[in-house]
Amino acid sequence: MTRLSLRNPLLTPEQIVQSPSQRQGMSQALELDMRVYGCHLIEAAGIVLRVPQVVMASAQVLFQRFYYLASFQDYSLRGTVLGALFLACKVEENPKSIRSIINVLDIIIKRDRGYPEIVTDGYDAEYYDLKNEMVIAEMQILRRLGFNVQVELPYGLLVNYLRCLEVTEHPQFPQLSWNYLNDLLRTPVYVCFQPETIACGVIYLAALKCGVTLPTSPPWWIVFDANEEDIRQVARAAVALHERSRLRIMPLDSDELEMHLQGELEDHVKATRHKIYETANISSTMAPVASAV
Amino acid sequence: MEKYQKIEKLGEGTYGIVYKAQNRETNEVVALKRIRLDNEEEGVPCTAIREISLLKELKHPNIVGLFDVLHTEKKLTLVFEFMDSDLKKFADAYGGDLDPLTVKHLLYQLLCGIAYCHRNRVLHRDLKPQNLLINKRGDLKLGDFGLARAFGIPVRSYSHEVVTLWYRAPDVLMGSRQYDTSIDIWSVGCIFAEMSTGRPFFAGNSIDDQVLQIFKIMGTPIDTLTGSLPQQQQQQQQQPVMVGLGAANDDYARRAWPGCTQLPEWKSNAPIYSSVPLEPLLPKLSAKGIDLLRRLLEYAPEKRISAEQALLHPYFDELRNISGGNNAI
Repeated sequence: MTRLSLRNPLLTPEQIVQSPSQRQGMSQALELDMRVYGCHLIEAAGIVLRVPQVVMASAQVLFQRFYYLASFQDYSLRGTVLGALFLACKVEENPKSIRSIINVLDIIIKRDRGYPEIVTDGYDAEYYDLKNEMVIAEMQILRRLGFNVQVELPYGLLVNYLRCLEVTEHPQFPQLSWNYLNDLLRTPVYVCFQPETIACGVIYLAALKCGVTLPTSPPWWIVFDANEEDIRQVARAAVALHERSRLRIMPLDSDELEMHLQGELEDHVKATRHKIYETANISSTMAPVASAV
Repeated sequence: MEKYQKIEKLGEGTYGIVYKAQNRETNEVVALKRIRLDNEEEGVPCTAIREISLLKELKHPNIVGLFDVLHTEKKLTLVFEFMDSDLKKFADAYGGDLDPLTVKHLLYQLLCGIAYCHRNRVLHRDLKPQNLLINKRGDLKLGDFGLARAFGIPVRSYSHEVVTLWYRAPDVLMGSRQYDTSIDIWSVGCIFAEMSTGRPFFAGNSIDDQVLQIFKIMGTPIDTLTGSLPQQQQQQQQQPVMVGLGAANDDYARRAWPGCTQLPEWKSNAPIYSSVPLEPLLPKLSAKGIDLLRRLLEYAPEKRISAEQALLHPYFDELRNISGGNNAI
């Protein structure tokens, strides 16, 4: 039997128990929030950049993988988000310029923080710093992941499975399970399970939510190479995520992380916002995000 | 770079200079491919990312080995297994006149490498003689994975500017974006024919010309799905050809391509050609070889033979009968 060598690399039990960030003293809760926020940034930027779903999804998986090999303390969230997006665009043959990725992400962060949505000038220091951060982060991701940047996603499988189970005509089922796949990108599920299991997990949950009964003898997931325990775990992760709300202000680099731990980040953001508005004397009309692309 | 002593420059690759070098500790001879990272607007080149990510995973005797990746601030260096030559240079050295058994050996190895890629869900997408590396022992290995990519199931649509023109499958030439492993197989067919004649089989100089070159030999495809022949079939009187009914059926079967008129860039104005017999074009190729070639150059991608099946073709029986002669050339 040939080994499917391009399968997604999965975490070892040791890696799951303690991530590099937690080993360096970060709480599990904060790390989860950071992961959720990073993935939110990738998705939001991907939508504005109009890249296909597969690019956004791959970037999120790369982001998740990276922080099981390196810590948020050592590698800034902002840089990794930029690098992961940049990289995923290339791997999935949808190259975007450095400039458009930076501008879009910058605006999204500014919006989250209530800063005026002004596009960075291609010549100012802020832009150069971001560009530097991005190029270095791309290399770091490649190095840490050992160039293992091919991501196998469960979207295609899901469509096939839904067809097999004859639920494609159901009014909510297909969309609901698809949404779960997107949501789960923000959890470690994609680095813990292979795509078949993830696809089965969202079907399992969607069936419960929609009150659809799927074949039980033999259980339908057997056909798709998944086991019940794993798919339940996937389903649980999706439920747990829904009970969690996303925070709008998260530490983007090590300085901000320090402030956050001191409980000063919110105030810092508020003060910065104030300062920008005052010094620039900007009216409340804001640059539309679309112009950043 | 201390670990390797450069011996000579081998050439310029897709994204940098390639050197022959020697490992100072083990004396092993390797090829170093240097990728500069000072491109301000691009970061790490796309092709390098693809090549490294795939070659790190693909380990097979018929795929060039990537031993190591060295990073420095300003460049990436890929350390490859050293290969003396490539198929183009190798064939040129023989004046394009390779003996039939050598051709068979090389094709077999090419198919083994491709079958392995396809089993692992990787498309090469840029198969051509220059990318097939050969060493002194007569081993053939696939190289240059800069355009390769892993594919999922079901296959998405990919950017269609991929395979070098002469080896590009007709479905890709006519704008198909739903391509799969069959595009590599078409290239294998072209390379097989080229090895057997010493000349590129379909040497077009533009996309349109490339399509025309293919039609001239393989015949203008017939969409058996709609049953409709291209416009000109009705308008222009076909040359009376003196053929028996059997030959006419053969021609129809060879040109049959269900759904071809639905391709985005289907050449509805292309002249109508019958398929021509391949034997006179490939005098050195045996009947079994011709049969295999036809299966590799099948119009409809879904009917094109797979690498796995091709390896079982009777054309290769001769190799299976040679006892212990694995790479004997």
